[in-house]
Amino acid sequence: MDFKLTEEQELIRQNMREFAEKYVDPIASEIDENSRHPVEVFQKLAEGDWMGIPIPAEYGGAGADYLTHALVVEELSRSCSSTGFTLSIHVGIACMLVLMFGDEDQKKKYLVPMATGEKLGAFVLTEPGAGTDVMAATTTAVLDGDEYVINGTKTFTSNGPTGDTYFVFAWTDKEAGRKGMSAFIVPKETPGMQAGTHFQKMGLRSSQTSEMLFKDCRVPKENLLGQEGRGLVMAMTGFDHGRIGISAQSVGIIQAALDESIKWSKERVQFGKPISRQQAIAWMIADMATDLDAARFLTYRAAWLKDQGVNFSKEAAMAKLFAAEAAMKHTIKAVQIHGGYGYVKGAKVERLMRDAKITEIYEGTSEAQRMVISGTVLR
Amino acid sequence: MPNIVVCFKWVIDEAYIRRGSSGELDFSSVSYKISDYDRNAIEEAVRLRNESGGRVAAVTVGSPEATKGLKDALSRGPDQAYFINDASFENIEPSQTSAILADVIGSKIEYDLIICGEGSSDLYTQQVGPRLAERLGIPCISFVLKLTIDGNHIIAERKVEDGVEVTAAPMPVLVTVLPDINTPRIPGVKDTLMASKKEVVNIAKDDLAQTYEPTLQTTAMTAASMERRCVKFGAEPGDIAGFVEALEKEGVLR
Amino acid sequence: MAGAWIIADNREQTLELLTIGRELATTMGTKLTALLWQDQELADDYISHGADEILLLPPLPEDQPPGAYIPVIADEAQKKDPDIILMASTVRGKEMAARIATRLNTGLCSNCIALNLGEDGKTVEMERLVFGGTAVQKVTCTVRPAMATIPLKTFEPAVKQEGRQGDIRELPAPAPSPVKILERKPRETEAKDISESRIVVCVGRGIEKEEDLALARKLAHALGGEIGCTRPISEENHWLPEELCIGISGISVKPDLYIGLGISGQVQHVTGIRDAKVICAVNTDENAPIFAAADYGIVGNLYDVVPKLIEAFKT
Repeated sequence: MDFKLTEEQELIRQNMREFAEKYVDPIASEIDENSRHPVEVFQKLAEGDWMGIPIPAEYGGAGADYLTHALVVEELSRSCSSTGFTLSIHVGIACMLVLMFGDEDQKKKYLVPMATGEKLGAFVLTEPGAGTDVMAATTTAVLDGDEYVINGTKTFTSNGPTGDTYFVFAWTDKEAGRKGMSAFIVPKETPGMQAGTHFQKMGLRSSQTSEMLFKDCRVPKENLLGQEGRGLVMAMTGFDHGRIGISAQSVGIIQAALDESIKWSKERVQFGKPISRQQAIAWMIADMATDLDAARFLTYRAAWLKDQGVNFSKEAAMAKLFAAEAAMKHTIKAVQIHGGYGYVKGAKVERLMRDAKITEIYEGTSEAQRMVISGTVLR
Repeated sequence: MPNIVVCFKWVIDEAYIRRGSSGELDFSSVSYKISDYDRNAIEEAVRLRNESGGRVAAVTVGSPEATKGLKDALSRGPDQAYFINDASFENIEPSQTSAILADVIGSKIEYDLIICGEGSSDLYTQQVGPRLAERLGIPCISFVLKLTIDGNHIIAERKVEDGVEVTAAPMPVLVTVLPDINTPRIPGVKDTLMASKKEVVNIAKDDLAQTYEPTLQTTAMTAASMERRCVKFGAEPGDIAGFVEALEKEGVLR
Repeated sequence: MAGAWIIADNREQTLELLTIGRELATTMGTKLTALLWQDQELADDYISHGADEILLLPPLPEDQPPGAYIPVIADEAQKKDPDIILMASTVRGKEMAARIATRLNTGLCSNCIALNLGEDGKTVEMERLVFGGTAVQKVTCTVRPAMATIPLKTFEPAVKQEGRQGDIRELPAPAPSPVKILERKPRETEAKDISESRIVVCVGRGIEKEEDLALARKLAHALGGEIGCTRPISEENHWLPEELCIGISGISVKPDLYIGLGISGQVQHVTGIRDAKVICAVNTDENAPIFAAADYGIVGNLYDVVPKLIEAFKT
């Protein structure tokens, strides 16, 4: 066993910390308030090769491992979990889908500009009637000559209004069941694809989320990702990777909650002493620190397994389940520790608490994670 | 195509030093970093190389622990690093540091320009640069805020109390730079990964021409105290009145 | 041979060094030597302020920096073997001191804020701030001479005494330095020297716009004080000249009253106000470190608090 990160991983983490403190901390509250996608931050992320860390250098990435990507998502999320998530879904799902399932032409055409950060990816799966139950989707893609024609309505698409390269899942053969769904690469401004208005959300507010409407949206045949009928496998594989990112995001949130709680409790004096010396508060912080480590190690293990090239679906689900629930639990505690000061707009813990909730919902709800985990252990 | 040498120090991040209950310094949870102004020195060396060609060698003296600083330094752009290390180098003073640097730079590294930070963020003695120049017998321009290479000369603007002096000196020359000179980069992911592939020359104590004894001895190191009243007021009218009254009682208002 | 030497760029600093130099020389029973290269007329003035001997350095050509004197000063020091050399901690002084110390192969205490003669009557224990002002380091030199650079305003200027006698000696002209001064650009701003102000109102990042400095100025005016700032205000925003930047890398102040507006209180800044008699702070963040370094703090928005303060101080 070796729990040490490599020197490179440590340095990259430190550099992201410095990056986040310099470029993200000062705007985190503002982009939350205004629900604004921080384009300027993503330009800077692109300049520093942060947008394609686990993608090989030949496809425009940095050629590092997946664990390094997770560390970066964690540190970025510690300052702003919306920004961390936008990076996470771009790399963990969009880039990884083309890397794993795309052909050489698709990699050159779509992966390179995403991995360099020139373009932002979006994952278009969920529908109004198909959340956890992916099979209930109704969007279809019909081959017409050299083009597929996509029709349907998607929703809760992250990076919907701001994306450049969309990964759209649609039935090519509904009758074939689990083998009937396919994935398509749809570039921005393809006629027939339209992003709906951006949803105003409880948290994760600077991440842009919208409906995606497809009306006779025609994409060339070569934009089919991999083979027909493999869509569901791809979506699940995408989720496996994405979940490591959500776990890392959750770890960043817990770390921030702990940072804020330690700082505040040592300085806030009540009954003649800092509240950190009240056992009620001290124990909350002890639990927070413990769950932080547990969430972190589960996350790093899942990323490490991914880097070893072995199956990590169950471990990614465990990491996400635990880290997300711990993030929710401890951001509530962090607000509690702050009392009224934590309930006021502008307090970081208030934003953390709102941001934490989504980690239990997207890229598979906690219930969906339990399905994955139990499905494996009860097999 | 100048050969540029940049010196850096791997130091305790002062933000993590705590004050113990009896005024002693608590280093138990410190982390380390490249001294702040040395980042400016490295950035300037790399900027000049990118402009004028040549090579940048980064040099540091320290205990073997400082190895962590090498990749950090190299990720900021230098081509190679020299790591002069020995367990006994952890707490050396400026005359020793500069002598050891001069020993190695003078005998093992080709140089036209040496760049140092104006002072280290731990001890901030501001001595190593000028002492190193003196040891090597080369001109020194300290506290530089703008640097250009002009043929075999450098032109340096240095900040002095009564303004700015534009100075020139023939290479080889040593300059110490102020933080105003540039904004150090945050290394990108590829920069960090590339750093591992760059050459590091390890130099041991035995490789030096001689040993260098200290000329300055630290007799005590204690936490700086700021004993203050720490009375807090709110912003209500009564608070403002109380605040003003307190200052009147102190007798500091005219 | 023995002696105490002082070396400074100008009269103001020389007079301050004469104070501590005289004290040391008298206690050690040795003579006090002051070096002089600026206005040669000052020789008698320095003697009447406490020097026993003046070493005159011949004037330099216009394009030569004072660093050219280093070999001459070091040679003379080798011959006369002084016990201690004190130099002004100015830009030029710090560089010269380090280079002279190297030539003399001795130790140097940079930015020394206090000196004490040990019980043996010989060893000088010197204090300086390290780790950005977090800690105080005490050092002694293990070889002769002990050397230190001393920041401006560390000691009071020496007082003139009538009838003092001293020797004046001339040192040889130095060889030209390879460093040439091409141009001297005088400081452009007419910033006030606030290091001696009795009341200082200091602004930090909590000030949102440059125009809002007027609010701080009004408060300073109501109190009869001056304004200063933290490093980000002068270095990043360029709202105020750097001569007004207080902290370890700027100036130190020691007013009777310091009021910090919107200042978080990083140790690098706080180090510059540690000698203030009373420190006050206004900050919205109850947990800002400045409150731990302040005698009286107001937790509140400076835009709300400062007008109230101005009104209160007027009456």
